Parts: sequence; structure tokens; C-alpha cells
Amino acid sequence: MSPAVEARGVRKEYGGLVAVEDLTFAVERGQILGVLGPNGAGKTSAIRVLTTILAPTRGTFAVAGVPNTRPADIRQQIGVLPESAGYPERQTGSEYLRYHARLFGHGKESARAVAAALLAEAGLSASARAPIGSYSRGMRQRLGIARALVNEPEVLFLDEPTLGLDPSGQRQVLTLVRRIARERGATVLLSTHLLGEVEEICSRVLILNRGQVAAEGTVAEVSRQAAAPQSARLRVEADSVSEAHRILAAERGISAVELADGQPGTLALTLEDQQDTTPMNGALCALAEGGVPVLFFELEGARLSDAFLAMTESS
Amino acid sequence: MMRRRLLVSASAVFFGLVPAGPAASSSNQIAVSVDRTAIATSLGHKFSIRSRIANTGGSAATALVAHLNVLSLRPDVYLDPEDWSSHRTRYLPAIPAGGSVTITWRMQAVNAGSIAVFIAVLPQSGDPRPPATGPTVHVSIARRKTLNSGGILPLALGIPALLATLSMGLRMRRRASH
Amino acid sequence: MATVERTARPRAWAIVAAQELRDLWLGGRGLLLSLAFSGLLSVLSYLVATNQALNFLEQRESVNLTLQVAIAVGALLALLAGADAISGERERGSLESLLLSPVSRLQLTAGKLLAALSLWVAALVLTIPYVWFLGRGVGIVGDALATGALVGTLLALFLVSLGVLVSIFSASNRVSLSVSLFVLLALFAPTQFPTSAQQGWAGDLFPRANPLTSGEHYVGKIVVDGHSWSQDASWLASPIIAAALFTALAAVAGGRFMRLSGEVSR
Repeated sequence: MSPAVEARGVRKEYGGLVAVEDLTFAVERGQILGVLGPNGAGKTSAIRVLTTILAPTRGTFAVAGVPNTRPADIRQQIGVLPESAGYPERQTGSEYLRYHARLFGHGKESARAVAAALLAEAGLSASARAPIGSYSRGMRQRLGIARALVNEPEVLFLDEPTLGLDPSGQRQVLTLVRRIARERGATVLLSTHLLGEVEEICSRVLILNRGQVAAEGTVAEVSRQAAAPQSARLRVEADSVSEAHRILAAERGISAVELADGQPGTLALTLEDQQDTTPMNGALCALAEGGVPVLFFELEGARLSDAFLAMTESS
Repeated sequence: MMRRRLLVSASAVFFGLVPAGPAASSSNQIAVSVDRTAIATSLGHKFSIRSRIANTGGSAATALVAHLNVLSLRPDVYLDPEDWSSHRTRYLPAIPAGGSVTITWRMQAVNAGSIAVFIAVLPQSGDPRPPATGPTVHVSIARRKTLNSGGILPLALGIPALLATLSMGLRMRRRASH
Repeated sequence: MATVERTARPRAWAIVAAQELRDLWLGGRGLLLSLAFSGLLSVLSYLVATNQALNFLEQRESVNLTLQVAIAVGALLALLAGADAISGERERGSLESLLLSPVSRLQLTAGKLLAALSLWVAALVLTIPYVWFLGRGVGIVGDALATGALVGTLLALFLVSLGVLVSIFSASNRVSLSVSLFVLLALFAPTQFPTSAQQGWAGDLFPRANPLTSGEHYVGKIVVDGHSWSQDASWLASPIIAAALFTALAAVAGGRFMRLSGEVSR
């Protein structure tokens, strides 16, 4: 079976500015691909090309098996939440979804049923008859996701779905996305800045930087690809800092122990072998044996965010 | 629909028997007659005059032009002939000896009062000899009030009021449903 | 999630038009504009009707004036709605969602154009009682309304299409409305020229070539001068050509050049 999304050498120029250069990747059906990149990396341009809003300057792609030469057919198979989606303020949520359902070919009655079901799925049933102008930002994002589902798409493109939301709103949106991917079996391309969420729900990651693919693969593969330096950070009680410093400085495999600036009780550790983190096990045991409780511990450089920063800053 | 009341004078009622006025020398052969010489009507009504232009000479009459003249018989009434009839100049075909041409002049009574209408026929060559003219048709137009201004207020207020009511009703309905 | 059967696809332009009409009229904006329009006609007709010196011809001219104002303002409203059609969506951020639907750009354009035209239709309907009141005494109501409907519809179609055309290529609503209004004013400007400036071949050609002045002339000849419909039919040429040409241009532009950003992509 062909991939859900496949791009080969896609390039997008705006006049002399290259927004996307040689975008080549594939996403298998049912996967959730996290599309990452700093501002101006070309994420939105890439999504707009793949969703047929913009024509590529060069290259080919296919979505749900439909080639880019048939954009109307692609649009039948996809659902999209654009980055800066606007909504008609005076329409109600129900009216809005019914309209888009009809644009996708539903009759009047089936559009009504689709709208009611999607509003329930997005947790907006209580606000169905309220004007969209009264919706909070989080509600609008969920409405946008609901609209992206009116045609039961095979592929769902979500461009910054949690942009501008508080943590509670972010959690609601991502829970919805996870449920959609699981229950509908749709392939999801999720563009976001929230690396933690990408680690949590995405099966694969695509990192863009200055219009080019910087990395692609699973989260673990991309993290390893960056070969980010391994270090650790731990926090102990303030009156145990000097004792912890003494214990850790004596541990084999740890080359430096320093107080972290501006973070009371926090020590930053540098490993001698930056690819080998096993000395940390010994260090933690030594602290426990020395009666120093560890309040917080984190191994840095093994996170996606570390790989992201390493890849995008080095370019 | 307004009822039309067109009163015809008893003095001359049949077509073609009202003779032309004294004909000029070059137009000796041209005689102009009309179907009636008196018309009574009301302001705004349309009426017509049929004129017959006959060639009484021995040879064909060519290159003639007929013109409808309209004037007010009262000095205090301004009249613009163009308002009465927009087609007042007719270029005639050649009239054989003994033949005739009939023209119907359609007009609308634009001014109230006493109006005179006559037809003149002259050559297109611009010959300075006097044209042949037909008899004067006297048209009496009765004044009639065509607009009752008192009735405008309910309309002028009613329609905006209706729209305002609809607009407010719609707004209240929207608020209630939300 | 309900499983639904898709029926044969209804014409998308009709769905777009229906939604736009609901937004315009049930949303309240159309009614407010109609209210303002009727207020204008009410003031005008009241002033005209209460003029005690009104004679027969002046009454016909009053009907003509009312009709000309109705056509001008009604067509203006349609122009403004057309100018907002695409650039307004662009500015509100809702154009992308529409472009992501499987509806063709042409059908999208057609639906919005039809909905914008409804403002002229409403203006025409509202004009009927005023023209009836002013014209019933002189027997010109039927001719006046029929002529006004014909010329007004041609001009409204021309201006709506012009507005939509400008809207397709405008990055913002402000640009779209400004350009559209400027073009309209430029078309109205010749009506203010002194009579001496309207002499000669240019003085005859320009009023005929300008659909607004040409349409105004035709209506005046029917209503005031009592001409027959065919007598001045040549004056209808430019309104007909303008309506047909700009409708076609708007359709082509909408189908080929409607973009997210309002610029023709390079």
C-alpha cells in the first residue's frame, strides 16, 4: 500500500525566497508525524503545498495515494486545521460545520447529523448554537479540528493546533488528536512547537530548518542523530548541596560538577564520555548511600528538544 | 388604471374633410388636411392626429419634409414641443401626382391649457417659398391633480419602520437562540 | 460517529450562495443596508411629493430621479458586497478553509457573486412602492419599473463583478473597497461635466461607452421623454457589454487566480 503522504523534491519559492527546499519524506498510514522547526523554517509553507493551497515550484507529492496533479481529489481525502484559521463570527458552531459538511457533498440531513456528532466529539455540544464570536481560542481550535473531520479524511494536517492555548487547552487539543488518530485510524501530520507533546504522541518526527529537512525518523532516531552532548542536572535540598558536590566529584565517569546559576540546590554534571550515561547510575546510588535525598534528576541531551536545538542552531 | 375621457369637438370629426389652409405658390400642388381640428383631453393623456398630405399637382412631389408644430395659445404657459412629441419631423417619400401620404402624429398632453398644433410641409431643398400648412388643431387640456402628496407620509415612514422592526426582531431572535 | 450516505453532489455554487445569503440577511447586515436605502428614498420621495408646484413633466422627472437614485445606490451596495467577497474572507482568515474544500474556485466565485447581487434585488423591490406612488398619476409606473429593473440589473451585475474581480486580487479589504469605489466614482464623474464639455464626437462617444451614463440616459428617455423601448436601444449596448464582460472576467479570475494571499503566484 502506498504511503499516506509522500513528497519527492518538493520546492516552494516566493519570488527569490526559498521557503521549502527539496522536501522528501514519507508517512505510512496510521502514523502521527510531528513536523518541527523554528519560526520561518517552512513548516506552514510545506503544509500548504501538501494540502494544495499553494502550488509547488518543483517536485511531486501524493496524499492518500492521489498525486499532486489532482488537487481537488486530494482535498476530498484530507482534513486541515490551518495555522491562522479564522471563523465567521456570527455563524454558530453548528451552522459552520453544517456548511462545510455540505461543501464536502453531504445532504442537508446528513450534514446536520455530521455536525452534531463532530461537535460532541470535540466537546462543543453545549456551545453548538452559540455564535463562534463567543468561543474561546481553545474552543475555536477544537471547532477547527471538527471541521477538518467533516469528510472523514484519510490524512489530517494540523498546523500549530495548540498555538495560543493555555496548558489546559493544549491538553484538551492533544487528547482529541490522539483519540482521533487512534479511533479513526487517520494519518496525522502535526506541526507544533511543543516538543514534549510531539515526544508523547508522535510516532515519527520531521525537523525542518530554513526550508530543508534537518532530520527525519522516530523520536529516538532523531535524538540519536543529533548526537547531543549528554549531561545531567539534579536538585537536592539547599543544606545538602556541599555534601552532594563532594560525593559526585569523587564519582568515576563524571568530569565536572557545578552549581547551576540562579537555581538553588541544583547541580549540573558533565559526563566524561558524553555517549555513555551509565556513570549516572553510580552517582545516584552514591548520593542515596550518603543520605542525600535527590529531589529532581534529568538527563539532558537525550530529549527531542536537545536534538532540535542542536540541529537548528548548528545550521 | 386611469379612465381616459377623450371628448371630440362637434365641429369637425371625420378624417380628410377638413381642408388645408391657403397653400403657398410652390406648394400649390401640396394640400395638408387633418382628421380633426379640436381635441379636449386631460393632462398626461396621449392622443394622436392623422394628417393627409396630398399632391394635387400634375407631377410627382419629391424631397418633402413634414413638421409638427406645437405652441401655447396662452403667454403664461411655457411649452417645450419636444416634451409633447419626440418625433416631430418626418421625411416624406415621393408623392405621385394625385397621390397622398398619411402620417399619424402621436403626442402626450404635457401642459394644461390651450394649445395649438399645426403641420407644415416644405421642400428639403430649403426653397424660401412659404411652406404648405394644415389647419390649426386646437387642443384643450384640463388640469388634473396627478399626485396626492398627502399620501406619501405613511409610505415614507412605513417602509423604514417595517425594515427596522424586522431588523430588531431578527436580532432578538438571534440572542434568544444563543 | 454517524455513518452517512452521500447523495449526488448538489451544485456547490448554490450551497455557497445559500450560506452567503443567510450570513448577509439573517446576520442582519442586509436588512440594515436596506433600511438605510429605504430611508434615503423616503426622504427623497417626501421632498418630491410635497412640492406643490409639481407639474406633469416634473412628476415624470421626479419618478426618473427616484429611479436613478435607486439604481445608483442599489448598484453601489452590490459593488461593496462584491468588493468584500474574497478579500473580506482573506482578511478574516476564513478563506483558507474555503479553499481547502473540494468546491472549485469558479463555483465559490459564482456563489458569492449571486449573494452580493441580492442587495440590488432588495433595493429594486423596495423601490417599487415609491415609484408606484410618484408615478401612478402619470401612467408610467409599469414602464419605469421595467426599465429600472432592466438597466439596474445590468449595472448591478457589472459592478458586482467588478467588485469581485478587484477583491480576488486585493490583499486586504481596504484596498479592495478603495479601488472599487474609485472606479465607481470615475464612472460617475462624467455626469457632472457641463453640457459644453459633452459636444462633439467625444461628447457623444464617452456617455455611450460608459455603462453608468448610458444606462442613466436610457432610463431618462423612457421615463421622462416617453420614448419607446426600441427607440434608444443603442444606449443599452455598453451596460450589456459591461455586464457580460465583467461577469466573464470575474469568473475566469476566480477560477484561475483566487489565492490565499491575493497575489498572482509567480
